[in-house]
Amino acid sequence: MIDVSKLEKILKKVEKPARYIGMEKNSIQKNLDQVKVKFAFAFPDVYDVGMSHLGLHILYNLLNSQEDIACERVFAPWVDMEEQMVKENIPLYTLENKEPIDTFDFVGFTLQYEMSYTNVINMLHLGNIPILSKDRKDSDPLIIAGGPCVYNPEPMADIFDFFVLGEGEEIILEILQKYKEHKEKGYSRIEFLKEIARIEGIYVPQFYEVHYKEDNTIDRMIPLVEGVPIKINKRIIKNLNETYYPEKLIIPFIDIVHDRIPLEIFRGCTRGCRFCQAGMIYRPIREKNVDTLLNTAQKLVENTGYEDISLTSLSSCDYSQLQLLVTELMKRYEEKNIGVSLPSLRLDSFSLGILKEIEKVRKTGLTFAPEAGSQRLRDVINKGVTEEDLERAVTFAFNEGYSTIKLYFMIGLPTETEEDLLGIKNLGYKVKDIFFSMPKEKRRGNLKVTLSASCFVPKAFTPFQWVGQNSIEEFNDKINFLRSEIKDRKVTFNYHDPKLSYLEAVLARGDRRLSQGLIRAWEKGCKFDGWSELFYFEKWMEAFEETGIDGDFYALRQRSFEELLPWDFIDIGVTKEFLVNEYKKAAEGKLTEDCRQGCRNCGINRSFLGGVC
Amino acid sequence: MILWIRFTKQNFMKYISHLDLMRLFQRSFRRCNIPIKYSQGFNPQPKMAIANPLALGTESFEEYMEIELTQRIPEDDFIKTMNKDLPEGIKILDAKYVDEKKSITTYIDWSHYEIQFMAYNVADLDTLEASITGLLERDQIIIERERRKGNKVITKNVDIRPLIGNITLSKDKTVETSEREYLVTINCLLKSGDRGNLKPIDLLKALDKNTNMNIEVDTADIRRIKIFTEGQNSIEPLM
Repeated sequence: MIDVSKLEKILKKVEKPARYIGMEKNSIQKNLDQVKVKFAFAFPDVYDVGMSHLGLHILYNLLNSQEDIACERVFAPWVDMEEQMVKENIPLYTLENKEPIDTFDFVGFTLQYEMSYTNVINMLHLGNIPILSKDRKDSDPLIIAGGPCVYNPEPMADIFDFFVLGEGEEIILEILQKYKEHKEKGYSRIEFLKEIARIEGIYVPQFYEVHYKEDNTIDRMIPLVEGVPIKINKRIIKNLNETYYPEKLIIPFIDIVHDRIPLEIFRGCTRGCRFCQAGMIYRPIREKNVDTLLNTAQKLVENTGYEDISLTSLSSCDYSQLQLLVTELMKRYEEKNIGVSLPSLRLDSFSLGILKEIEKVRKTGLTFAPEAGSQRLRDVINKGVTEEDLERAVTFAFNEGYSTIKLYFMIGLPTETEEDLLGIKNLGYKVKDIFFSMPKEKRRGNLKVTLSASCFVPKAFTPFQWVGQNSIEEFNDKINFLRSEIKDRKVTFNYHDPKLSYLEAVLARGDRRLSQGLIRAWEKGCKFDGWSELFYFEKWMEAFEETGIDGDFYALRQRSFEELLPWDFIDIGVTKEFLVNEYKKAAEGKLTEDCRQGCRNCGINRSFLGGVC
Repeated sequence: MILWIRFTKQNFMKYISHLDLMRLFQRSFRRCNIPIKYSQGFNPQPKMAIANPLALGTESFEEYMEIELTQRIPEDDFIKTMNKDLPEGIKILDAKYVDEKKSITTYIDWSHYEIQFMAYNVADLDTLEASITGLLERDQIIIERERRKGNKVITKNVDIRPLIGNITLSKDKTVETSEREYLVTINCLLKSGDRGNLKPIDLLKALDKNTNMNIEVDTADIRRIKIFTEGQNSIEPLM
């Protein structure tokens, strides 16, 4: 255990000290001498963000449900805390037993966004663990990762010992079981890695070598160890009704980003938006049934005392039994002042009806995501939303008493023209016109329309994975154009930093040569890159230059279909053929209908036995 | 029905802010099925109030809270159920139904604190004690208080002497840690509540400014021992 008296001293000097104390309701503190495997679940961001992540709660409770396993949490300390920890020589520790992370068997990171990569490196450093996999000894913990970013794990290949592809609760116990067996017969790190490299869903990067062509693209990837797979398949849960879901959740002391019950209603998404990575990698669609959900909700309400249930998924309005579920939940919990909420809304009348039912109170703001300004471009990205949908939704919202509307867009989408950009402005102005076309006595509140534009980042395993991103200059031109066009007191235009999106694009589609650049950036002081106040673009550019990395090569370059992409050795179940086809349809502006209306042949029901979707 | 509750906030729980503590109790009430009354209106809130909230980092042997219930439950059941649910460090000591119309906050007048801090320039115990007595003998002790008005910070000079009941040095808990360096423990009675309030940290600052003992203010351990109301001729516990 770390020196608690030192900890007490520094906690008085930092912001939100309760981030660092553990002891929350439903947290689990085991005697670490009495377990066989110690697993540190690491989230490479602050507590407030990490504790809002559902996957943490699932794996934490699943692992701790096993008698001989202890799972403890560790988050990135905010910069004030890090400074104090370094000064007092306190190593990075887990919240439960306040044990340094280097005493654990595993440190498992979840990689939710690329901009947290430097935090991984920083956390290893603060935990006195060698940063490079090749420098770690048998006595060091195994450093592993899961989460959506591992669908292109290559930029972090030098750092992690292995990656877990797919749904963690399906595979984690299998890994730890193997580890126990190895420990009992005398553990050797390399022998263990060799054995688990054969488990489906596990990728051990050190067992592969990548060769490059003269033009810097990948020539081939060859296994260095006999018996390791050439293709890594993701692992999925076939039946979500029978899979593990926690009945308790840790209740944070401090106010976190999502402070409510997350009731996961399904996985996967059938919409097929062409920019969306989640929509591809989490296929197939798998719903939980209403009975399962009501049972889970009841237990979670009893065990947490939370005042809000959020129906989570990638597109909750698509849940086939949504009306029934919402009605039942309202019937049970309305009296107890427990609310039901939907994290995302579709623009159709059905969804709006549901909204009317659940949001009887707080009428603050509504957020919609048309993603693109013109119908043409929305068709290109397969966002099946029309201007009429938006009009109807906004009219509804104003009639219901809402007065703050937020619309999300992306700029820099493939084939985008000035006309498409103007579409963003036009939609915003249209919303305003709808408000003022209502009779004066029916208008409520003070109208505020926010148009928010993020810069498009092409991601692996999407139909746009071959696309060159707009340059920072192009993004800035587009932003300036819109800023000069949108001049209205009621309509505000917000935009994301193109520099951050550029870097995200480099990391999202990078290869393993990027590891060195990441480490160099961290050495220069980069961490918490996703936090604008701590993002130092110049340092990143210096780091790339010093390590011979050309960021434009990864972010801006248009790839050919023939090119071997860094993530091509991973099989997500959706075929490359489907992605190519979708890319071509995008160029023609042709829609691909929701696959709930009929199979679109993405391949997922062929790759997993039993045809799950 | 109004229930007055006396509870502790000790050890690591001192790092929980007032708002966090409110939320913690609300969720605990819900888990324990305590029939708490909600306000009417668009955003119903549970009817509860914590009297004289502590600053972050201060622990307490005795805090007070009042809640309103829709139906009466025996005090002992309430205490037992809640203590099973609450985290280590927060413990209900006592609960009592009252007929009061006035909020519990209005009864609070004084707090007794124990404060432990490092002082880096102390000759000996007697000098230390003399400087504390010296402070108490002053007619006025002026400190600067910051107040926020919108974005502006306004500083104002305040005389805190009337807000200090007493300060005593706890000699048995004061130790010399090295040459001229002392871990000092004092006990003090400070005004609390709506009719005048002195934060222990402000007292420490005043002590540092007006003596030459060189106090490390930001690492001081502050502990509220007891809360009092002003009676006819004496100060008395609230319940």
